[in-house]
Amino acid sequence: MSDILLEIKGLRASIDDKEILKGVDLVIRKGEIHAIMGPNGAGKSTLSAVLAGRENYTVTGGSVTFMGKDLLAMSPEERSWAGIFLSFQYPVEIPGVSITNFMKTAVNAHREAKGLEPLKAGDFLKMMREKMAFVQMKPEFSKREVNVGFSGGEKKRNEIFQMAMLDPALSILDETDSGLDVDALRIVANGVNALHTPEKSAIVITHYQRLLDYIVPDAVHVLKDGRIVRSAGKELVAEIEEKGYDSIN
Amino acid sequence: MQEACMEGNRVITLAPGDSLRKLFMLREASETSLPVGHLVMGAGSKADITVIVMPGVSCDIHLTVDMEGPGAECSVQGIYLCPDEENVRICVDMNHKVPHCSSRQLFKGIAGGSSRVDFYGKIIVSKDAQKTEAYQENHNLLLTDTARVDTKPQLEIYADDVKCSHGATIGRLNEEEQFYMRSRGISLKEARVLQMLSFVSPVFGHIPEPALREEVESETEKAIRRL
Repeated sequence: MSDILLEIKGLRASIDDKEILKGVDLVIRKGEIHAIMGPNGAGKSTLSAVLAGRENYTVTGGSVTFMGKDLLAMSPEERSWAGIFLSFQYPVEIPGVSITNFMKTAVNAHREAKGLEPLKAGDFLKMMREKMAFVQMKPEFSKREVNVGFSGGEKKRNEIFQMAMLDPALSILDETDSGLDVDALRIVANGVNALHTPEKSAIVITHYQRLLDYIVPDAVHVLKDGRIVRSAGKELVAEIEEKGYDSIN
Repeated sequence: MQEACMEGNRVITLAPGDSLRKLFMLREASETSLPVGHLVMGAGSKADITVIVMPGVSCDIHLTVDMEGPGAECSVQGIYLCPDEENVRICVDMNHKVPHCSSRQLFKGIAGGSSRVDFYGKIIVSKDAQKTEAYQENHNLLLTDTARVDTKPQLEIYADDVKCSHGATIGRLNEEEQFYMRSRGISLKEARVLQMLSFVSPVFGHIPEPALREEVESETEKAIRRL
């Protein structure tokens, strides 16, 4: 069996008739962590949105294969069931829906997709408690409305908590470091590292080096103007830090 | 407490200190109005009225509350679910005639299909009704382009030492929230159910009796799942 988890070929996508991705190629194997870096406006967030199935982007060319299946033909929820998880740059507030209710609905939807019975209430709560402790979220948070009134750090920890609950094969972390202080950054990065196994892969999208000091990538790609212009090992991070994106073509 | 009928309108009069709690669930197409149309409140009396209009019910709800004794407290709230061709009209007149009374109104509704909702809520605070507290809110979700909601909250205040507010909104289900939930594996249908339930749920909080509240919640949830 192939160890390729995700294969992106010639991916083009636009929003409001403006082309953002202009032919992206990327192969991610099981167990690998890939960093995608690039200047603002390069298309980093568009790439993560297209992979998660956001409908306001139009894919105009290319293909994306995830575990051998045509990812672009799947709805956002089907992609989640298949094992894709997007950690949002700006997690969405959902007034009136508690974290417990939200996660119970999500976990049981995943179970239903696998043909499993809903989790028993006691087992679910135990799982919640464990995963919340894992990202140092206080138990009281389970009663709070999803992301409502959360600080930047709390929102990002909540993303990693959800990631731990859903146990995805591929995590896409979109600018997870933005708006985080060093302590929160460390908690988030430790969470991501602890969830990483030889079977699990991640795409870490970031503008800066600092998250990659904690989450060490196997490969680094520079996205500029909708294309990957350079791919290399982790040494590329230092070069970017030193010379900036302008020198990389 | 006294009940009387005037010009076909059922009047309930609350004596000083009386309290009234009523839940009206309109489930059948034949239920086109409330069995109470007029509430007269004596000093220190309390009224708490909840109205739930289920799918398939077209109705004309008209309630007038006269606060005639100081210290009266009135809370009126409701949910209307109109997914098809319903025509729901709600009209509440809250008359603060004397000082130190308080009133709260909260109506939340969902309109889909080619349904039509009209909400008229008026708070009148007389010149003598100082220290009045009166609040009114009406919020609506539109599910289709062919549904129509008209909301007219009105305040007429003739006293100068009062706390009053009103607010009305008409909106749609938030697609950002839907995408966030779907990205966690929650189906679009279930995401919409969660959104609609969380939208109407503040009204449940006004139903004091836990057993009754649970019954209303569960019946409303079933109805929302069928929308």
